[in-house]
Amino acid sequence: MRPFALSYARPAVKSATETPYTYDATRQLNVLSDGRQATSSRAVLMATGTTASTAGSKTHFDD
Amino acid sequence: MTVLVLTCEEDLTADTVVAVLHDLGVPLVRLDPADLPGRVHLSADYGTNGFHGYLRTNERMVSLNSLRSVWVRRPGTPGTRAEERSTWLTLESEQALYGMLTSTRARWMNHPAAAGQARYKPWQLHIAQQSGFTVPATLITSFPAVARQFADTYQDLVVKSVSGKHPDDPPLVLPTTRISPDADFTAVAAGPTLLQQHVRKGADIRLTCVGGHLFAARKEADLEEVDSRFAENGVWKPAEVPEHIRRSVAAYMTATQLAYGAFDFAEDANGTWWFLECNQGGQFAFIQLDTDQPIAEAIAAWLAADPLA
Repeated sequence: MRPFALSYARPAVKSATETPYTYDATRQLNVLSDGRQATSSRAVLMATGTTASTAGSKTHFDD
Repeated sequence: MTVLVLTCEEDLTADTVVAVLHDLGVPLVRLDPADLPGRVHLSADYGTNGFHGYLRTNERMVSLNSLRSVWVRRPGTPGTRAEERSTWLTLESEQALYGMLTSTRARWMNHPAAAGQARYKPWQLHIAQQSGFTVPATLITSFPAVARQFADTYQDLVVKSVSGKHPDDPPLVLPTTRISPDADFTAVAAGPTLLQQHVRKGADIRLTCVGGHLFAARKEADLEEVDSRFAENGVWKPAEVPEHIRRSVAAYMTATQLAYGAFDFAEDANGTWWFLECNQGGQFAFIQLDTDQPIAEAIAAWLAADPLA
């Protein structure tokens, strides 16, 4: 028998978003292709969704 | 003295704090425990001269005795990027890393013991009640008859995950979902089920607590909306924290021994804040983006403070 709560679950939609930044081990933070900090771009923050509330709920206990 | 940041590389939320620490001139080492063993190395000895140890990642090395604080942001699981992964290797790596780090005098945001306990959502409800929050009537049960009785009493209910985690095999999402009072609860016997009185909310409240600093934000909600994480509408705006909530947050943080917590409330038509949960590792950048509240600055300041005497 399937647990009660799972009857309300729905398939996870996998985001196809490409990460437009890379980790810079020297600076210890992520940078854009032009060298700026990735967090300096509001558009990047919004587009990647890595800072959104649901980002955590899909992969971690906390969000 | 150095700040140790435990998180994955792609974590932009961590970047917001790392950038502030850089601006403050505070030395820091950022690493992902998933890279132990591999790109992360460690060593500690407990000899006649006491405890000494160090960590190395890339070209950085830090003495454990020089750590001022540890920020557990979004770390990977130790051992999971090793060439020969195994449950045993993960356990060995986890014990070595966190066992060594908890031997230091560093301040923690959050301490692993406190974080582990604080993840239990049933315990959160208990501490919330003790702290004076208004908590929706909640039932966690594997008895179908008890679930039926609860539904008869409260009529308008939601179901949510007890752990807060979504099923991963296959990958599913389990939003907090409203259920019919006529629901068939037979399947409650197949797994512990969390049912909660549905709060008809006019807004969501996210209150981020950093040390003693509180940052509250409010987002209007549709009356029919249940789980705001899966709604795209609305903008977070700064909100005032009522004095009685301030006192309850202080009591909660003391009871849980947390340095950081992200509280979720549902605000009803009367303006009552109903406690839903407190995420000890909750996201904050999405709030800061909308409200310009200086949460990253507050975290950086907490991490940069002197270690325990």
